[in-house]
Amino acid sequence: MYDNYSKALFGVINNIVNDQEESEDVLQNVFVKIWNNFPSYDEQKGRLYTWMLNIARNMAIDSTRSRHEKIKHKIQETTDSVYHKNNLFEQNSSHENIGLQNIINNLKEDQKQIIDLAYFQGYTQEEISQKLSLPLGTVKTKVRQAIIMLRELTKNEILQ
Amino acid sequence: MSIEEIIESGLLESYVLGIATPEETVMVQELCVKHPELIKEIELIEEALISYSSQTIKPLNNELKNSISNRLVFNEKSASKATIIPLNTPAPHVKLYQVGIAASLLLLITSTIYNFSLYKKVNQLSGQVAELNTTKSVLADQMNVQQASMQTLTYHFQFVANPKVKTIALSGMNSLVSQSAVVHWNPETEEVYFDANALPASPQSKQYQLWAIVDGKPVDAGMISLNNGATFQKMKLIAGAQAFAVTIENMGGSPTPTIDTMCLLGNV
Repeated sequence: MYDNYSKALFGVINNIVNDQEESEDVLQNVFVKIWNNFPSYDEQKGRLYTWMLNIARNMAIDSTRSRHEKIKHKIQETTDSVYHKNNLFEQNSSHENIGLQNIINNLKEDQKQIIDLAYFQGYTQEEISQKLSLPLGTVKTKVRQAIIMLRELTKNEILQ
Repeated sequence: MSIEEIIESGLLESYVLGIATPEETVMVQELCVKHPELIKEIELIEEALISYSSQTIKPLNNELKNSISNRLVFNEKSASKATIIPLNTPAPHVKLYQVGIAASLLLLITSTIYNFSLYKKVNQLSGQVAELNTTKSVLADQMNVQQASMQTLTYHFQFVANPKVKTIALSGMNSLVSQSAVVHWNPETEEVYFDANALPASPQSKQYQLWAIVDGKPVDAGMISLNNGATFQKMKLIAGAQAFAVTIENMGGSPTPTIDTMCLLGNV
């Protein structure tokens, strides 16, 4: 399970926490919690990954809060996180993440934003619709379009 | 709603992202039961998201995994919620099968050795039994002989012990000088017993014959047989004897005694 999901969950956590060391701590705690709560996971209520994603997101958000960062961080400066993200990817552009760089570059700005809000920040559809002043139906459609793009890009990435 | 409409609606994406409302989540679950092909679509969305967030900034520290697994082991002790199923345990039936064969072989070998030793022992014992049976029949024979001789001796003793029985000592003469024999005679019952004692065997094709002298005339009292080592012998009935004598006669005896060959004589 660690091998299958640790990278993906770490990516989510790191996007929220923005600190490698702290993200590793949170990831540890997330896996301990997943392990301990695994008996309570109900397949009827959702995908395993979605369940783990919720745990990771919540713990990462708790971690940033307890760090006395801005409590309204996630509501206020979405652009902040996007900025961080861009910064971080730029820092690593010399490394193995050229493929990801391509993905990011190919995502439209609004798609990137909506994915970040939904996937990393765990915003509800309503929160997103308020945040971006979009009708609920449009939020769903945009999320879908963004993920379709991701699917295309990751597929190409895998093919490459 | 058709499958295409469901997919187009963006509901599945929200579901995977965990941002769908509880009602929507229930709806997706129900739709998946009705249209299993939706699960394929959900898996593709999930893969895309996992792949996207897996493109992390730095590769993960390897120690992190060890550190997590250490904490999991620790927690496992305190929580003891999970059932541990060892993965490396080899299929038990294979082991049982092998152990069974080994045990059977061992049992067979042990049993064969044991049976062989038992077989040897039985042979040995039946030999001993046959030997003992032979010994037993020999002893029984000897016992019969002894018993017979005992009866004879007892009778001899009782006869001799009777005060009415007269004991006549016969003295040796001619060829049997320095020899002797004894005649026991009961005048009432007329029974006569001859005790050859240490009398030497008669010459070849000759036999000792006992005579009673009744009213001055010799009366045949029977042939003396010294066969089988028997020395005490019942003779013919004799009444009114004055003396007893023994002559050496041809085999089977003679109607009248040959005076020349008289070798024992004793008066009553």
